[in-house]
Amino acid sequence: MFFAFSAMAQDRTITGTVTSSDDKAAIPGVSVFVTGTKIATQTAANGTFTISVPASATSLTFRFIGFATKTVTLAGKTNISVALDGDAESLSEVVVTGYQTVARKDLVGNVSTIQSKEVSQKPSMTLPQLLQGKATGLQVTGASGRPGATAYIKIRGVGSLGAGTDPLILLDGVQINSSAYSSLNPNDIEDISILKDASSTSIYGSRAANGVIVIKTKLGKPGSEPILQYSFQYGKSETQDLKNVTLMTAAEKLQYEYELEYTNANLIANGIKDITALTPAARQSAWDNLISKGAGDWSKYLLQKGTVRSHEVSLTGADSKIRYFLSLNSTDNDGTEILSFFNRKGGRLNVEYQAKDWFKMGTNIGLTTSKERQVREPFNTQNLYASVFLYNPYEPVLNPDGSYNITNVGFSSIEGSTNNPVTIDRINSYGTLYAEGKFLKHLTIRSQAAVNYNLFKYQSYLKPGSNLAVLLGYNQKNDQGNQDFFYTLTNTANWNQTFGGKHNINILAGQEFSRDNIYSYSLTGRNFPTASVETLENASTPTVASTSISEYALESYFGAANYNYDGKYYLSGSLRRDGSSRFGANNKYANFWSVGARWNILKEKFINVNWLNELAIRGSVGTTGNNNIGNYTNLGTYALNVKYNDLPAAAPFVLPNPDLTWETSTQYDGSITFAVLDSRLSGEFGYYSRDTKNLLYPVNVSATTGFTSYQGNIGSMNNKGIEASLTGVVFKNADWNISLMANISTVKNKITSLYADDQPATASGGIGRFKIGEAANTYFLVKWAGINPANGKNQFYNKDGSITETYSSSQAQILSGKSPIPTHYGTFGADVRYKDFDLSARFYYTGGNYIMNYMDQVNASDGENVNNNQYTSAFDYWKKPGDLVRYANPLDGSQNTTYDTDKYLEKGNYLSLRDVTVGYTLPIKYAKYIKSRGVRVFFQATNLALWTKFRGIPEVGEANRETTVFAGTYNLYGYPPIKSYNFGIDVRF
Amino acid sequence: MKKILLTFGIAAILISGCKKDLTLYPYNQVETTQAFNTEADVALAVNGMYAGLRTSTSYWVSGTFNILPDVLADNLVLNPLGRLSLKQPFYEWRYTGESTSGLFTSGYNIARRANAIMENIGKLPTTTATNNARGEALAIRALIYFDMTRLYSKTYTNATDADLTIPYVTTTDPTITPAKESLKGVYDKIIADLTTAEGLINTSNGVGRLNKVSVAGLLSRVYLYKGDNANTIAAATRALGATPSIGSLTTFPQIWTDATETGVLFKIKNTSVDNINAQGVNYYQVTGGLKKSEYVVDYTFFQLFASNDIRKTVYTETSLYAGTNMNHVIKYVGRAGQPAGVVDGKVLRSAEVLLNRMEAEYYTNPTAALADLVLLKTNRYTGYVAEVLAGPALLAEIQKQRRLEMAFEGDRFFDLKRLNLPVQRDAVHGQNADGTGTPPVFSSLPLGDKRFLLPYPQSELNFNTNLKQNPGY
Repeated sequence: MFFAFSAMAQDRTITGTVTSSDDKAAIPGVSVFVTGTKIATQTAANGTFTISVPASATSLTFRFIGFATKTVTLAGKTNISVALDGDAESLSEVVVTGYQTVARKDLVGNVSTIQSKEVSQKPSMTLPQLLQGKATGLQVTGASGRPGATAYIKIRGVGSLGAGTDPLILLDGVQINSSAYSSLNPNDIEDISILKDASSTSIYGSRAANGVIVIKTKLGKPGSEPILQYSFQYGKSETQDLKNVTLMTAAEKLQYEYELEYTNANLIANGIKDITALTPAARQSAWDNLISKGAGDWSKYLLQKGTVRSHEVSLTGADSKIRYFLSLNSTDNDGTEILSFFNRKGGRLNVEYQAKDWFKMGTNIGLTTSKERQVREPFNTQNLYASVFLYNPYEPVLNPDGSYNITNVGFSSIEGSTNNPVTIDRINSYGTLYAEGKFLKHLTIRSQAAVNYNLFKYQSYLKPGSNLAVLLGYNQKNDQGNQDFFYTLTNTANWNQTFGGKHNINILAGQEFSRDNIYSYSLTGRNFPTASVETLENASTPTVASTSISEYALESYFGAANYNYDGKYYLSGSLRRDGSSRFGANNKYANFWSVGARWNILKEKFINVNWLNELAIRGSVGTTGNNNIGNYTNLGTYALNVKYNDLPAAAPFVLPNPDLTWETSTQYDGSITFAVLDSRLSGEFGYYSRDTKNLLYPVNVSATTGFTSYQGNIGSMNNKGIEASLTGVVFKNADWNISLMANISTVKNKITSLYADDQPATASGGIGRFKIGEAANTYFLVKWAGINPANGKNQFYNKDGSITETYSSSQAQILSGKSPIPTHYGTFGADVRYKDFDLSARFYYTGGNYIMNYMDQVNASDGENVNNNQYTSAFDYWKKPGDLVRYANPLDGSQNTTYDTDKYLEKGNYLSLRDVTVGYTLPIKYAKYIKSRGVRVFFQATNLALWTKFRGIPEVGEANRETTVFAGTYNLYGYPPIKSYNFGIDVRF
Repeated sequence: MKKILLTFGIAAILISGCKKDLTLYPYNQVETTQAFNTEADVALAVNGMYAGLRTSTSYWVSGTFNILPDVLADNLVLNPLGRLSLKQPFYEWRYTGESTSGLFTSGYNIARRANAIMENIGKLPTTTATNNARGEALAIRALIYFDMTRLYSKTYTNATDADLTIPYVTTTDPTITPAKESLKGVYDKIIADLTTAEGLINTSNGVGRLNKVSVAGLLSRVYLYKGDNANTIAAATRALGATPSIGSLTTFPQIWTDATETGVLFKIKNTSVDNINAQGVNYYQVTGGLKKSEYVVDYTFFQLFASNDIRKTVYTETSLYAGTNMNHVIKYVGRAGQPAGVVDGKVLRSAEVLLNRMEAEYYTNPTAALADLVLLKTNRYTGYVAEVLAGPALLAEIQKQRRLEMAFEGDRFFDLKRLNLPVQRDAVHGQNADGTGTPPVFSSLPLGDKRFLLPYPQSELNFNTNLKQNPGY
């Protein structure tokens, strides 16, 4: 047979080149088949191939992962050049789920993927930026605009109230935390899978209730020659503009103060005791004097243009035995608040060695080091960004003697940020070692040891001579930090077999153990001889030396089975048993399960329409859990880290809860995927509903017990919504390719049961509640009834609907339907390619959430904050009977108090032009003159435009870095979000 | 075969590496059930009780209790150039159910520390040490509950049997939702607990903890509020001994820099390691070498400090801020050579006990009252010549001395309440030493105003519906 086959072949030779239609780069390693035979070859490093074909051959088929398979008719030609279309959703695409890899067409779970091509086309500095807007059901909100800031990543809504909403993030098989993922280099990523439904997440059991993100780093493709790539990026950024509000100018603020009969300290220092007693001319001259010395726009002194500069070199390749990827990168990022920066350097080496045809082993090692300078963000006089809003424009930056002016707030945040530096150094290392043997024909056994080892060092120096040191009467240095050692050992066995050509079976069994040990320290010393030394050995008075240890362990067993009949009917199931050290003796272990099914309808004979390219329906149901709470909270304890009169002491610390148990989610989900018209139009529609019970959250107790709460399970909650995405190629020819995309996700969050209805939500800063039937953290405030036009006084609604001029906190009520949780979000945009140019634009929208606008409350008060700068909207106050205005009569002393009411509660809806990228790819025919395999340059702009009705900036993540509340509950002068402009170039050799 | 061995070998190594121990214990805590096994454990818990007094951000060392009752009353005037701390809601009497949760929550947090000791101490044999611990726990609980009744309710002499106050919680049961209790009943419980404590507690605990003498002193305070003159005098005499030591003209200034323990019956220790400067910061911070006060002395009140009154220079300082002289409160300047404002929290001084006694004596034995007054003034006024006063003039002088002695120490608002007097601030003069500046916008709190009783925290009322809000809020 073999001889006969050989004998009749080889009567002509075809040569050619395979390139990518996207960037015109040569693609090595493409499989080239004579269609319908086993005669095949692979393209070389420069994309060329040579293949001998039998006389009977009529066409060649080109196949490569990540590209649409293409068949080209020979028609007598001997030289064939093919451009393959990249295809993110191609049927041949492989998806990393669970503990294995599945072809997309065989996927029972609901999984969105981001491929390395998207990573390289859309440069991003951090993983959260990379994830944003990329998938339905995935919402990424930056915690703030601080360089190196983490993000709130939510999959299908708020999965938990008190046990974290971040999904489980696995990097090459090891769980990593938020500080570790923000220091990850996005360009090292090969692909990302976002696991949303139960059938894909249940196998991760107790950590998967918020979904799972699986990240795989790069490795050379089989058969590819070494490719050396250099990338450079440079960008500028600035603070996003305030919307719908404007800070007063010096002249406006002085006028406002005059109207309020307020004589500011600068006037008093100039000998003016009462501004209202002056003649108009004297007043104007006093004002002019102030304005001439004033700072004007304080943002000139407190903010700056941010800068990003990054270099990266990588080498990737493979031969028959070894696949490898090596990268080195460095990014320097100066923030938009003065003095703040985040610099990162890192490297990665991934190697896989095929020792035998049945045995391979490998390692993925990443190391990142970062240095960060933070500026303070508490809501007090040390906050730089708040100073932009609170310092008056007529106040000078410097005093006549050259020192920093402490202004009306009594402290110079510029001086404080300069002389009281806070620096953070981190070393994050990620290491995975694995060995995999195909021990029988159908059995693969894999063992993996993965480590995430993080060092964190925080230094805060109150330098001798700084204002704060003088104020406090001492200088001080605090060093604190921790080493976090986390490891996971995983063993899996996988049986894969096809019976009778049509019955495909895949069975997985595994076992896993994880343990975390965090050792932390805090050291403080005082009395430094001079500001130029900062190590604690120089402190003559050591004051604090403290260490602590916190540990956690998780033990798991799991299994999964998948069956499909002829690629048509799919059935899958999984089981996992987890044991966690965090739960009470009565509930250490829990079980999680899922079942899922898929039907590739197109495979049915009765479907016989040629315009349909894909049609599948899938669904699943299953459970996941959440153990993301503090360690040891189930034990009732006395704390021993207490002292009195420098003697040891013990104090009640935690109320016991031996019944503390797992928070579990049961998710139902179904979706339909389709592609029509030569796959030019494709999309997916889905629905999900997730019930979470035994919500982990502090259970309130009467304060008369000496405690206010203990860690417990408070009730249950439901999240449900729809997800839809559509992608369409609207125009396509040799030169042009125009496609449009849109996706939308909705979330309806609802509390469905509680241990006692209508409870304060402790993470809501006192303004949110849990109530059955409402979304979690629904606002609980006194309702404002406007300004009484007759007398200029604030009016409030009592709970019975009557109107009063007396504020009473006991009249606060649930504001039905108003919570900080967005109810819908999505992305739409266009991708245009014309010859070698490409343009991509993405709009992002979100809404349905409400935000307590504390910044508006402070900056547009009823006269209470007349000493601070104000928004011009504060002028809209009551002056005479009949005025219909937003602000009370500020001359009425009884109105100078600001209360928390729904006056400041605003819709958080916005639409942002999130990303515009224009790129140019040098055609290979020119690139080769500089011995390059490819050159690409691009310009990118983020957050170019924003539309909203919110007063200020509606993108609210954390209130500020030093205030812990449920994300998006309120804003409070946190590091502002940015817009940026970047240039980049990639060169490959 | 090699293949099988290799594969299973690697798996075996990794599996054997797993130590499946899911029972992990914290490194800085002990389970409550194991917290009272020995007398040494009890000693730790007793220290923890005092630590609670120090760390509470509402009461003495870390809190505002050395200024709040003065801010609420007529001893201070706001400096509008300060940080406006406590202006709203307290200085302007605008408090709501959202303003007082710290005072409520941390009061009960301290009481719980005492309750836990009393609940568990029975496991150990009764010894001098356990009796001492029980005595300290009873007295600390009584002390904190008494302060809470002063905040949240009327005083005994102005109350009827129907008036209510905070629940007198004596358990660590986490499931309770108690209702308010009879004010008079709670006074009786406080007195009973202090009386028992006085019999159990050591005399030699030092002034950094409660002892037999300071418990007697506390009793004199409670009896005075109750209007029980005989017991006020008896308790005060037990506390003061035959020769009351209230700090002489020489030693009195040293009390405030912790250079002496003379005249102090009980104080919360704030060591240089603790380094808590809140008591000082409550009044002012130094910026550019100048005192930036939150509040300065009420103009009219300041005139009551005679020039030969040692308290004038120990408690106040007239110095420039923003180009103008102001009368700053320097009572919490701090210890010599240590950061500003770091000082022990004085909870009970013998001068107060002496004042308690002389006021009670006024009604029963005016001669003795006059003798005590002369004793006090001899130690406060330079060149003081003993005077003879009687009748209303004597009472007025006793009350004036109380105001002067206890000024800026967290007494005045409670004293006005006890005496059933309105708050009347100087409505004309401002923050400057010469009386110019900004007078208080709100200058009086009339008798009977609901705001003499602070509101219970709304968060507690929302959860514990058995507890009802004070009238009018």
